Amino acid sequence: MRAQFVFQEIWIGLRRNLTMTISLVITVAIAMALFGTGLLIKSQVDDSKSFWYDRIEVSVYLCAKTSTTQACNKQDVTDQQRTAIESQLKNLPQVADLQYENKKQAFDRFKERFSGSPGFVESTREGDIPDSYRIKLKDPSKYEEVAKVARGLAGVDQVINEREILKRFFKIMDGLQWAALLVALIQVVAAVLLVGNTVRLSAFNRRRETGIMRLVGASNTYIQMPFILEGAIAGLIGGLFASVLLVFSKLMLIDRLAGNVEMVSQLGWGTVIAVIIVSICFGVLLCAVASFLTLRRYLRI
Amino acid sequence: MVLNRRDAAVIHFDNVTKVYSSQTRPALQHVNVAIEKGEFLFLVGPSGSGKSTFLRLILKEERPSQGHVHVAGKDLSRLSNWKVPHLRRRIGCVFQDFRLLPNKNVFENVAFALEVIGKPRRFIGKVVPEVIDLVGLEGKAHRMPDELSGGEQQRVAIARAFVNRPMILLADEPTGNIDPATSIGIMKVLDRINRTGTTVVMATHDAAIVDAFRKRVVELEDGRVVRDQSRGVYGQAY
Repeated sequence: MRAQFVFQEIWIGLRRNLTMTISLVITVAIAMALFGTGLLIKSQVDDSKSFWYDRIEVSVYLCAKTSTTQACNKQDVTDQQRTAIESQLKNLPQVADLQYENKKQAFDRFKERFSGSPGFVESTREGDIPDSYRIKLKDPSKYEEVAKVARGLAGVDQVINEREILKRFFKIMDGLQWAALLVALIQVVAAVLLVGNTVRLSAFNRRRETGIMRLVGASNTYIQMPFILEGAIAGLIGGLFASVLLVFSKLMLIDRLAGNVEMVSQLGWGTVIAVIIVSICFGVLLCAVASFLTLRRYLRI
Repeated sequence: MVLNRRDAAVIHFDNVTKVYSSQTRPALQHVNVAIEKGEFLFLVGPSGSGKSTFLRLILKEERPSQGHVHVAGKDLSRLSNWKVPHLRRRIGCVFQDFRLLPNKNVFENVAFALEVIGKPRRFIGKVVPEVIDLVGLEGKAHRMPDELSGGEQQRVAIARAFVNRPMILLADEPTGNIDPATSIGIMKVLDRINRTGTTVVMATHDAAIVDAFRKRVVELEDGRVVRDQSRGVYGQAY
């Protein structure tokens, strides 16, 4: 097979229905960019999940004068209560580790975690966060059993499971991911239909050539190859545009998001490149297969 | 004797009937024709008598409803689809409407037939000019089809059909769009090709040409062979 000849035919084909090709490239680019963004969000969520779930703690806040709950009765926790709480919690079989955190430590940790949003930190003063016991659980799902015991102890203000807070955040990220993938799916359908139309037009435009090719005994592969490659090249160009969009979304969306809400685990460029490669291959394959299937209907061999 | 004739035949229609699904009347009925290697055969008969169907069956563009078509000793009904291109490489085709590519010049039009079957460029560069000379278009290799007369365009089409040195050349009314004086030139080219040993099957309405050439004539009427005559004429000469 003579490559130069085939590429010349492809070039003619692409140029002849330029507007179709452009719309195809745009559709593929958007589809693949959304598909890739979905994948990026997914890997970001997975990374963050494992990072956070390793560090998940249950915070048992102790009573302070500022507390509004009835159990505290606007009283600071007494030393006696504190020792009782500590020994009770330590003896629970579900508890892996127990740490006491005073107001100063709590505030320092808060400052560190939200260093990305200085306004938030400034509006908080030391002492706003009460003393607490931070419990690491052997099995995070056993949270309720521990919380029940802790709530029953005198001098305990509130029991907060960090996992619940993170869950809400991850739910939003999951939603974003599925939204991106859903729109990508719709675009993929549009892309397939566009490939179909482009190839049909192309086959119609070149019916004279293909008729002669058939007549002089060109093989089916030879006749179909320019059309399939035409689709594949449009897919490739679309995929390249998509990769530019993905780099942008890494820089503008994910990095910025990570700056605001400290995600600690940053999505590396390695993942981005992997996602780009997957998206481009998917785009090329999608267009090539769609061309091939359309050809079977419109190009009599 | 009959068997020998069949063995030597390059095209053999063995009791072939063709009925198109959209029509009730058969396009060909019980046709038995054996064409030997190197023969020149006129296929005559009115429009709709089955001449085109006859040619299409040889190319395996159609399948017979009954009977068998053998080309080069092979039963086409047993030829798998992916081998059909190889069959067509051994058969050249010329049509009434030339079927040239308007955006390619003479050389490119002829070379196209070799390019699409993957022949190397050096081979094309050597063979194409030879064939262009053979059909009498010396010095016109770089003309575009719309710069050529009808007769010259048909010569290009013949060059394209012959450039791969086929065993068989099928011509479907090659002089149908050409004035009588020019037709003689076209016939001379076909005769020249026939003399290289290529079997030529030409469907035609042109009585003057058939009468002048005195080759074998097969006449079809309503899909039936009504006459098969060596050195025949167009009309009812018997």
